[in-house]
Amino acid sequence: MRKLNIFRAGKLAVAVTALLALAGGFVGVSAAAASQPQSAVTGETYVIGTDTTFAPFEYRENGELTGIDMDLIRDIAANQGFTVEIKSLGFDAALQALQSNQVDGVIAGMSITDERKLVFDFSEPYFDSGVQMAVAEDNTEIIGYSDLAGETVVAKRGSEGETFANSIKDEYDFTVKALADSATMYDDVKAGNSVAVFDDYPVLAYGINQNNGLKSVTEKEQGSSYGFAVNKGQNPELLAAFNAGLAELKDSGEYQAILDTYLEQPAPAAASGFFGLLGDSLPALMKGLGLTLLATGLSILIALVLGVLFGFFKVSESRVLRGLASGYVSIFRGTPLLVQAFFFYFGLPQLTGQSIDVLTAGVLTLSLNAGAYMTEIVRGGIQSVDPGQTEAGRSLGLGYVTTMRRVVLPQAVKIMTPSFINQFVMTLKDTSLLAVIGFAELTYQGQQIYASNFRTGETLLIVAALYFIVINLLTMLSNKLDKRFNK
Amino acid sequence: MSKISVKGLRKSFGSNEVLKGLDVEITEGEVVCVIGPSGSGKSTFLRCLNKLDELSAGTVIVDGFNLSDKTVDLNEVRQHIGMVFQHFNLFPHMTVLQNIMLAPVELKKQSTADARATALKLLDRVGLADKASARPAQLSGGQKQRVAIARSLAVNPDIMLFDEATSALDPEMVGEVLQVIRDLAAEGMTMVVVTHEMGFAREVADRVIFMADGVIVEEGTPAELFGNPQQERTQDFLSKVL
Ligand SMILES: Nc1ncnc2c1ncn2[C@@H]1O[C@H](COP(=O)(O)OP(=O)(O)OP(=O)(O)O)[C@@H](O)[C@H]1O
Ligand SMILES: [Mg+2]
Repeated sequence: MRKLNIFRAGKLAVAVTALLALAGGFVGVSAAAASQPQSAVTGETYVIGTDTTFAPFEYRENGELTGIDMDLIRDIAANQGFTVEIKSLGFDAALQALQSNQVDGVIAGMSITDERKLVFDFSEPYFDSGVQMAVAEDNTEIIGYSDLAGETVVAKRGSEGETFANSIKDEYDFTVKALADSATMYDDVKAGNSVAVFDDYPVLAYGINQNNGLKSVTEKEQGSSYGFAVNKGQNPELLAAFNAGLAELKDSGEYQAILDTYLEQPAPAAASGFFGLLGDSLPALMKGLGLTLLATGLSILIALVLGVLFGFFKVSESRVLRGLASGYVSIFRGTPLLVQAFFFYFGLPQLTGQSIDVLTAGVLTLSLNAGAYMTEIVRGGIQSVDPGQTEAGRSLGLGYVTTMRRVVLPQAVKIMTPSFINQFVMTLKDTSLLAVIGFAELTYQGQQIYASNFRTGETLLIVAALYFIVINLLTMLSNKLDKRFNK
Repeated sequence: MSKISVKGLRKSFGSNEVLKGLDVEITEGEVVCVIGPSGSGKSTFLRCLNKLDELSAGTVIVDGFNLSDKTVDLNEVRQHIGMVFQHFNLFPHMTVLQNIMLAPVELKKQSTADARATALKLLDRVGLADKASARPAQLSGGQKQRVAIARSLAVNPDIMLFDEATSALDPEMVGEVLQVIRDLAAEGMTMVVVTHEMGFAREVADRVIFMADGVIVEEGTPAELFGNPQQERTQDFLSKVL
């Protein structure tokens, strides 16, 4: 600890020196500014990325983000006079967002490793972790690493647990499977797909405490420490403020109080019944459903415009326009929606230097994707109208536009409507894929809920039922409108 | 005075030459029937007269408009030439009345009220005054074709083109459509009628053109062509259809 303190003091000194140098560099900056070293972050707002599902460090309770990381970063921000805007993105996504400067910092129960130090600057460690192994509650066969021979274990992709498991897998002859979040890993073990999970001890301890159906069977391995990260060379003042705030919280005892809240707390009362879960989760799920509908509505509207535009291009006489439309359609039909979402949220900002918010990126992805399918629907609709109709219109002396508007389109729309309704439903379902970039729609909200209560099956049933109800209501409504207007 | 003047008209689809140099002069008020075996290019010839098909070579002058002239407004030209199709091509999403009123109203030739009055008059003329608010799907084939003729007449054309107007009809309905065409002929309308109805051609045509393989093999008055065909191919064809 003593060594750490000296180290921290050294860093602080560096930070203060840097600030003074900065202040000195500005002509006309008053001495008062230099005498208040905190002014670099005071009043600033920083966007902090975090994991979605890493209890007890970050998880949602009644729709609110909570956990050790969340309490720490908020208390440090209050202590140092800055504001944080938390973005719950998922671990991999948060790191990518940090690299593309979509967020200013990441606090996500992240181990400080040499590899990560190459791309990020880390704060002082704020938590000492370590990997621990757990098995299903009723498993009596596996009590140590040597019982793992020939078996499969799970670990979280890119985590300390995975590194540790891989480091001993040859010695003990087992296979390591990587999954994206803790709740999924625990379900994998309970379902018997793998016999054991290697996860960070606090996470495991918290989960077991929450009756997640596992038990730990080994001692915690000597592990790494968690740190708060900023992109290499970026936001040094934020890093300095974090370190300063952390030191103050430790001194005041606030830090220990936070840890105790999450790690010492006794097992909660027995889980509420299905209707209890329904009641607890519905507010958050409804919020998610709202976003799902918003993203669907916006995307379908834009897709409709794109589809009509490119659909007309496709049936036009001009080779250039036809080529343009074909290129557009083949790009968006020829690549997975998920890749498109990642590209617009993470890739595009790196290429353009312009950051993009998750709703915009999500709507952009869905509308461009659905627009490609709409283009084909519009093209198909127009081309399925008997060419004799166009010839009759043209032979009467009606121009191309008038013939389209009065003769072809009214018939094409009628043919297209069922496909439009179908695309609408597809796009609504596709919004669930945006959970991976941290868009807080219905599926994402569901993941948040079972990540902290471990009731995966029931929660997903509720989520699926909500989709089912909404989609069928909307389909019924669409069909009614279709019947009324397209007789 | 020449209403339609065709000189050296050629038309190819890709490498397939369908019209191999046609020369035709049609004067005002003349009724010309075009006969010939399937695939000989009769429809293509008609479609070149209002440029539903592009011309590959040659000139076509219709009502004073040279169709090869890029500055000629085709939509204007087409208002001078009505066309009636084998399969009627009525607009199924509109009533009979709307079908007939569409062009005059869209082309701003008439107010809606005037167009309606004209349309009702035309319907009366083709014997369908009671079908004004029916949909095409509710009509028989003969009725559909009579509506299609009324629709073409609504823009007040000088010339009418008929492409096998009766060949998709049940035999008992052919008469009613031919009667409408016969009336138009009697009123002095310039017409080009592609038909399989040899009796009709003999009766109403001022001149009959026999086409085969993209060329005009023989032409003359009905009496000449049907009574005393000069070419072997004409004789062959007539012996099969008469
Ligand atoms: N759009 C087109 N593309 C390619 N070939 C065509 C096209 N339209 C017509 N043809 C060809 O041109 C030739 C003449 O066709 P056209 O329809 O003018 O004959 P027709 O004399 O009207 O025959 P029918 O009595 O069967 O109606 C045929 O060989 C046909 O296959
Ligand atoms: Mg034909």
